[in-house]
Amino acid sequence: MGLTGLEIFKHLPKTNCKECGSPTCLAFAMALASGKASLDACPYVSEEAKAALDSASAPPIKLVKVGAGDHAVELGDETELFRHDKRFFHPTSIAVLISDTEDAAASAELFDALEFDRVGLHYVTDMVAVQCASGDAAKFKAAVEAVAGKTQKAMILIAEDPAVMEAALPAVKDRNPLVYAANAGNYEKMVELAKANNCPLAVKGKDLNETAELVEKIVALGYKELVLDSGARETSKVLADLTQMRRLAVRKKYRPFGYPTIAFTSKENAQEEILQAGVYVSKYASIVVLKAREKQQLLPLLAWRQNLFTDPQKPIAVEPKLYDVGEPDENSPVYVTTNFSLTYFIVEGEVEGSRIPSRILSVDTGGVSVLTAYADNKFSAETIAAAMKKAGLDEKVKHRQIVIPGHVAVLKGALEEASGWEVLVGPREASGIPKFAKERFA
Amino acid sequence: MIIIGERINGMFKDIARAIKEKDAKVIQEWARKQEENGAHYLDINVGPSSPAPVEAMKWLVEVTQEVTDLPLCLDSTKYDAIEEGLKLCKRPAMINSVPAIQSKMERVFSMAAQYDAEVIGLAMSEEGIPKDADSRVALAAELVANAMAFDISPDRLYIDPLVLPCNVAQDHGPEVLRTLREIKLISDPSPKTVVGLSNVSQGTKNRELINRVFAVMAMSHGLDAGIVDACDDELMAAVATARILLNMDIYCDSYIDVFKKSNR
Amino acid sequence: MAVEILKEKYRSKVGEVVLGATKEQGGTRSHTITVGGESTLPFLHFEGEVPHRPVVAMEILDMAPEDWHPCFKQYFGDVYDDPAAWAKKCVEQYGADLIQIRLRSADPDFKDSSPEDCAAVVKKVLEAVGVPLIVIGCGKPEKDSTIFPVVAEAAAGENLLLGVAELENYKAITSACMAHQHNIIAQSPIDINICKQLNILIAEMSTAMVNRIVIDPTIAALGYGIEYSYSIMERASNGALQGDKMLAMPMIGNIGAEAWRAKEANISAEDEPGWGEQEERGIMWESTTAMAYLQSGMNILVMRHPRSVELIKGQIDDLMKDNSY
Repeated sequence: MGLTGLEIFKHLPKTNCKECGSPTCLAFAMALASGKASLDACPYVSEEAKAALDSASAPPIKLVKVGAGDHAVELGDETELFRHDKRFFHPTSIAVLISDTEDAAASAELFDALEFDRVGLHYVTDMVAVQCASGDAAKFKAAVEAVAGKTQKAMILIAEDPAVMEAALPAVKDRNPLVYAANAGNYEKMVELAKANNCPLAVKGKDLNETAELVEKIVALGYKELVLDSGARETSKVLADLTQMRRLAVRKKYRPFGYPTIAFTSKENAQEEILQAGVYVSKYASIVVLKAREKQQLLPLLAWRQNLFTDPQKPIAVEPKLYDVGEPDENSPVYVTTNFSLTYFIVEGEVEGSRIPSRILSVDTGGVSVLTAYADNKFSAETIAAAMKKAGLDEKVKHRQIVIPGHVAVLKGALEEASGWEVLVGPREASGIPKFAKERFA
Repeated sequence: MIIIGERINGMFKDIARAIKEKDAKVIQEWARKQEENGAHYLDINVGPSSPAPVEAMKWLVEVTQEVTDLPLCLDSTKYDAIEEGLKLCKRPAMINSVPAIQSKMERVFSMAAQYDAEVIGLAMSEEGIPKDADSRVALAAELVANAMAFDISPDRLYIDPLVLPCNVAQDHGPEVLRTLREIKLISDPSPKTVVGLSNVSQGTKNRELINRVFAVMAMSHGLDAGIVDACDDELMAAVATARILLNMDIYCDSYIDVFKKSNR
Repeated sequence: MAVEILKEKYRSKVGEVVLGATKEQGGTRSHTITVGGESTLPFLHFEGEVPHRPVVAMEILDMAPEDWHPCFKQYFGDVYDDPAAWAKKCVEQYGADLIQIRLRSADPDFKDSSPEDCAAVVKKVLEAVGVPLIVIGCGKPEKDSTIFPVVAEAAAGENLLLGVAELENYKAITSACMAHQHNIIAQSPIDINICKQLNILIAEMSTAMVNRIVIDPTIAALGYGIEYSYSIMERASNGALQGDKMLAMPMIGNIGAEAWRAKEANISAEDEPGWGEQEERGIMWESTTAMAYLQSGMNILVMRHPRSVELIKGQIDDLMKDNSY
């Protein structure tokens, strides 16, 4: 939402001169708010007013890029508080923390391998954070370079002493790392560094108030490639701060919080850390920095991120193919359904619940449900028969029986003709499958 | 849509007679009926020809509150009558109404601040009701700015863009609808909007149908509240349905009943 | 410069449901548990009340679970055949806030136990532990409708949470709850409209039941449609806070059962080397699922693995800390 009429009115001269064509300045302000007039029509408007009105047309949260090339990540540019209202756009980046007191090269190599394949999707931990724990500029520089040599993924450099940052940053500036962090004591120097190396800058306050203040000072210095850290580290406090920053940016267009955010886990135990990170992924962090490195710990977190950031308007599809439930043999029953993931998973769950090893043929319906696909002619005798052929059902089972959803019982005749198989009409709801299976196949 | 039940109004003969004869039963019967059918507020108006409007208002407020906890909407052009009524209200009430005229705004907004009342503001000035939306919106903005000067949050203000009968002022219809949308651009939080629904059908045939259709159209332009016949079941069903279609309530098969019970 | 904290003004709140009854209240529980009552979205203490912390129920069965991953044997193997001992272990050793027993043996496909046998098991569990009890039928509606009246009567006064009621068969279980004053789980198939309608239908049978309904929105596990149930719960919570009384009930979810159905929780590291060690993966699959549902407003989390329970209870402690400004 842009500025309201009364907010615009504050910036107008309030002389009611009528030269703009409106009878009063208030009427002109309302015409501006509803987009019916242009500010140019007012001959007396100040430059400040123009600037204020311009900035109101910017998106509520700025898009900031960290990293370079194929491994650059985009942060921010979110517009919603709830995914069901539209969607969340830029998945939270998961950054793994490496200290300059460990064997950074070895850790970076392990980090780079943290990638997962699951249900046809590829999950990655997309950032690596290198932290100066030694307090030694040369050590930090060496660690940063070692990490840069082992992974192409986006980097965060963590050192609040500008001298330390200055030692390490120039060597990796082409990698466009996030410089962490400008605070109340060092911000002038940090802004200079970020500007000179053209890298995004994290801003760390001790609370929301100080963070907002710092942002305004840094913006006044002419730098806007920012990522915000409210300074909170306790789970409940971070949740509150992230919620406030997102709400104020989106709902009130509060400019100081119109940037992506970064959160750090505080738990020492890796499992607790994952759950803490999960809260921040759920509620609005653009980057979460954590120490956990084991595959079995990170996979669930990355799965949650992927699930949360899907587009609720777009149905999610499973791969259209023949699936095994249990260990089916050549006599096992065959069910057919669509490739809408929710439909498929529900059917799969019920078939599993029937405790009879079976196969499920998922037909490509563009990821829509049975009735919608039927109405669109995507779940028809022809498409099902074609999918049966493609899956090689003829060779996999000896029998010639296939179960269709009860909702499309009407397809029975046409499918029998198209496939040459006997078509059994299953229950209308998946919950009826165990009973159906027991009666037909047990 | 917030339903303000219009029925306790001296313009209706049974109410005028009840006021005159101090027959509380008639008033209370209507209070109950409107509440049961889903009203959220009850409008209280002594009527145009009341000889003693202050006393009549006080009596109506008292007898109404004996049977209902719903907040009241005190409806009069005589601000003394409203003020005496406000003193008796057990819950914060609504003042109906004030035009965008400086002296009246001062009187009403100071009273609203004192009694923690909401206010219906009319998009009209000394010069009467403007025809076009832009002028109506500008008057609405005047009302909001003045209310804020009395520390009344804009969302405690209901702007009535003023609906005229469609058989005499058909060209006002689209302007009123546009006004409803643009009023939301005045401030944050934005003021609410209200219409006196029955005005749109004054002097026409098909009064109920016109009211219902207009209610739904106005809701789709963002209308928040209506002074309406809460006992018109079809109207209430139309409002409940519009809320579903506008994604304001979550659908379920019994959504009409749920809407009617939502004031409890 | 002070940031103006943005607090929502909600019209209403989630209703409260009390589970269990002490001796004075006509039952035998050592204490009761109240869920719900929040007047803001999850854990936003800065703008509303979260009067009761979410609770964790541990899941037990009335027969040995042949379908559970073998990794559970080390925790429960010694008590699989004794529901009372199993419940006791969950409470005393693993910190369960309450126990959910599923009467699986009543399923005609399993042992087809009689309603009287079921009631006897419930009584034994009640004797073994002091926490409030959730009792779930076998999942076959015809059979369940014969079990509920008997179990409800046998446990009269205990203020159980009984489930599940679905749109097609809510009447028998609702009647049983009404007759013996128990609470009810109203389950809808990942569908907010049916969820609301079912609550209305139960309330129509008895308005007193309104404060005895716990919603089961049917949750999915991480990776298997969790985002659908997550969003439905967020919509329901928002609806409740904005005054929709027919969605303003506390919510329950079978997290353990769903998460441990996932391939990701069960498959061995040998078969899927890219995913890391199995048991810890399963624990994290379950507790990450629970974490997400805490963020979408779940009040009763039914879980399975002792470590998941410990982790999630720790997170609830953290989230219940005041964060007002």
